[in-house]
Amino acid sequence: MSRSDPGSAGIPPAHAGRARGPRSQDCEAAAGLHVERLSRHFSGVKAVDGVSFHLAPGETVALVGPNGAGKSTVIQLLSGVERPTSGRIMLDGRRIDGLAPERIARLGLGRSFQTSRVFPALTVWDSVLLGTQAGLLRDGHGGGRLANPLAELAGELLGLPGWRGRRTRAATRAAAALQRFGERLWPRRDQPAFSLSYANRRRLEIARVLAAQPRFVLLDEPAAGMNPSETAELTDLLLALRAEQPALGILVVEHKLSLVRRIADRVVVLNQGRVLATGTPAQALDHPEVVEAYLGRARTRPVESDAHLG
Amino acid sequence: MLELFASQVVNGLAIGQVYALIALGFTLVFGVSNLINFAQGALFMLGAFIAFSGVTVLHLPLPAAAVLSVVVVSLLGMLLERVALRPLENAPYIAPVLSTLAISLIIDQLAEIIWSPEGQAFPVPFEEATYFFGAAYVTSTDLLIFGFGAVTTVALTLFLSRSWLGRTLRATAQDRDAAAQLGVRTGNVKGMAFALAGLLGALSGILVALYFKSVFPQMGLPYGLKGFAAALLGGLTSMPGAVLGGLLLGVVETLASAYVGEGYRDLVAFTLVLVFLVFRPQGLLGNRRLDALGGAGGAAGAMPSTSVLTSASSQRGAVRTLDLPPWGFLAVGAVLALLPAVTQSAYVLQAVAYAMIFALLVASVTLVSGALGMLSIGHAAFYGVGAYAVGLLARNAGWPAEAAIAGAALVTAAVAVASALPLLKLSGHTVALGTLAVGQIGYLVFMTWLEVTRGPMGFINIPAPRLAVLGGLNLSSLVQKFWLIAAVAALALALAQRLLDSGIGRVWRGIREDRLAAHAAGLPVRRYILLGFALSGVLAGTAGGLFAYVQSVVSPESFTVGVSILLLTIAVLGGLGNLTGAALAGFALTLLPELLRPFAEWRMIVYGVALLIMLRLRPHGLLGAR
Repeated sequence: MSRSDPGSAGIPPAHAGRARGPRSQDCEAAAGLHVERLSRHFSGVKAVDGVSFHLAPGETVALVGPNGAGKSTVIQLLSGVERPTSGRIMLDGRRIDGLAPERIARLGLGRSFQTSRVFPALTVWDSVLLGTQAGLLRDGHGGGRLANPLAELAGELLGLPGWRGRRTRAATRAAAALQRFGERLWPRRDQPAFSLSYANRRRLEIARVLAAQPRFVLLDEPAAGMNPSETAELTDLLLALRAEQPALGILVVEHKLSLVRRIADRVVVLNQGRVLATGTPAQALDHPEVVEAYLGRARTRPVESDAHLG
Repeated sequence: MLELFASQVVNGLAIGQVYALIALGFTLVFGVSNLINFAQGALFMLGAFIAFSGVTVLHLPLPAAAVLSVVVVSLLGMLLERVALRPLENAPYIAPVLSTLAISLIIDQLAEIIWSPEGQAFPVPFEEATYFFGAAYVTSTDLLIFGFGAVTTVALTLFLSRSWLGRTLRATAQDRDAAAQLGVRTGNVKGMAFALAGLLGALSGILVALYFKSVFPQMGLPYGLKGFAAALLGGLTSMPGAVLGGLLLGVVETLASAYVGEGYRDLVAFTLVLVFLVFRPQGLLGNRRLDALGGAGGAAGAMPSTSVLTSASSQRGAVRTLDLPPWGFLAVGAVLALLPAVTQSAYVLQAVAYAMIFALLVASVTLVSGALGMLSIGHAAFYGVGAYAVGLLARNAGWPAEAAIAGAALVTAAVAVASALPLLKLSGHTVALGTLAVGQIGYLVFMTWLEVTRGPMGFINIPAPRLAVLGGLNLSSLVQKFWLIAAVAALALALAQRLLDSGIGRVWRGIREDRLAAHAAGLPVRRYILLGFALSGVLAGTAGGLFAYVQSVVSPESFTVGVSILLLTIAVLGGLGNLTGAALAGFALTLLPELLRPFAEWRMIVYGVALLIMLRLRPHGLLGAR
């Protein structure tokens, strides 16, 4: 279990200063990621049970809840790895539940995994380049069309100038994504991914997701296995990302509430597959029912055992 | 009519009972070690032969000989686990599977040396009686097989469900680490599973020997494959499933042989396997665990990967890979092209020509098995398609060599893509089974499609290559053919290397390393798998075409599953996914037996031992897996 002191610095007192709040529902009814009465049952177990929420462009929403609340299952459903039992998922007005994961990814919804998946035997550089491959195939084509496989084959084999241009642009995107992590990944770009530390593998996976230039990202416990200073570093990185790409929507599943309080515009609390509370981090996380769901009892006074609340 | 049908069903059930016993051996071993034991067929064959020797040499009565055989083969099963598998526990996932393959190569060849390659009559000590029910009939051998099969199955079930040993076996199958925590000696349990597999193998071998009243050293492979297929139909993890799968397979193939034609027995059986892999990869009674077999088993580990090159401990040492740049292949080809200036010996030139063809062919295997990580045990079929295609295009259609080879490459690519379609969603061990079925179906088509291939008689009179670009020059001399092969092989390998170094190669390796992550990263996985098979098909088809030109005669023996297994073995020896390693190993291991010609029958044993040593010392191959 990860611990950081709730009383320490790193938690801004309030979120009033944040420029972007939840947008008005009326003008952005279609834009963004809309989840409607989403359910996933595993032979009787209701892992996700009628969950609804939305993620607008430019917004950061945190999905929190105790273990087994269904957070990761929601990510699996949104990214198409699992099929929902019922409910709808709309991305910019387009229904995406039932689409294959790779189609959803190409529609601009990138994701990381709870146990980071990094193509272990590939180098760090190759791993990030794979994140840019779908964009490379689409480069120069209208809409979501991919380059014809024969054109790709000829381009790669003969090194045609048009194809080399695509490669260069993809490499630029990959380099930018890696350099976002400063000295953590860039000097190690020629090492195999399996040689990275646990935290660096998490960073690598996030770099790969970002290299694809998604419009929405789903991050499944990005700070797991990171110590408090690394968590703070990741938090700063995500804040910088938000500042740079004001239209990027981020859905983050995270237990470390220090991170959640700093980056989230809104928090959705899940418990036993249902939405328990939503609101600003301050409202949602201090809601008595939420505290009880996390601790198993109502909180009376701050004690040592609350440390994991961040 | 109905009686005939009933007789066929009874007949099918009898042979199905034998398949069920072999399948149970697979299932047991698979359960405790998550491994497909390719040596099961060899144990089966040994069972039959030891009983045979017991009766003919030691003059034992059949029951005593059978007991002797069962005991010896059970011990051999344990020995196999100890020697070939236990040292590889933390090796890459692929290593133990290939280790059992190596063992089966060695045992099969040793059997040919000990008992001669010819089939021999198995003395049946009792008169066979036939019982009629109306027009339907059943023989005493059928009844014997039924009886033994049923008793063994029931005894095994009781053993597993009631005895403590059986419980430890089931516990180990469910969760090896947890069982070890509770004090179960999981190593011994594995040994026991292999002993039981040996017991089942020996018993089924003896029953088959009784059924056909003959034994032959090559019987391991076909029955091993059938047992495999039966286990797969049943679901690999399910004991009742294995029995059901065996019976189903037996009945279906017997009916096919009775109503469609004897040649179609195996064709129908392996088609059934492919159909199951597509529509119900978890088998009749299996569970979804099959989705996460083999390589994908690592997906649950600390560092998720679907690669067959990862190991259970998910630790990897950095493996240095040596490989040539694309132009390196052209340079090597140019150097080899000078050989005729050094020697005019037809023997040497012929041997080196075959070596170059094999280099190309193994490269084709490593593209799919190594770069894409989809183990192929069916590439001989693609090789054959290329050879027959050149035969048809050059002889029947009169095409010049460049058109015929290109045509053969494209036809083979199309066949490879078509056969990849049912394999798209498979990974780990199941894809190896799928390609095995593809390879076997290919071979059987070559055997039975008489109008085109002339079956076992062979496709003859393939003309010498005629090059249209050189004004219809006929390459009739061996030296000219040698140059053609050197040029085509070097060019094809250079292009393939360039591809592996390109973005396409990177995506292939990404799909191998983690298919789920590849999907999630938006990579069109299906497109790249099909592309990989197509290009592998181009290489295999080209190799087959060149082979047809050198041979001028093509027959199905060159394209058996045995050849496919050999190709995969060589690809592993070279380093999976490493084109230079594949080409070098293919080249060297084709020439090596020529040097060892006086010991020709030891060739496969040398391969097997080399493979075992390599798996132990350098599991990533000679030049390193890439």
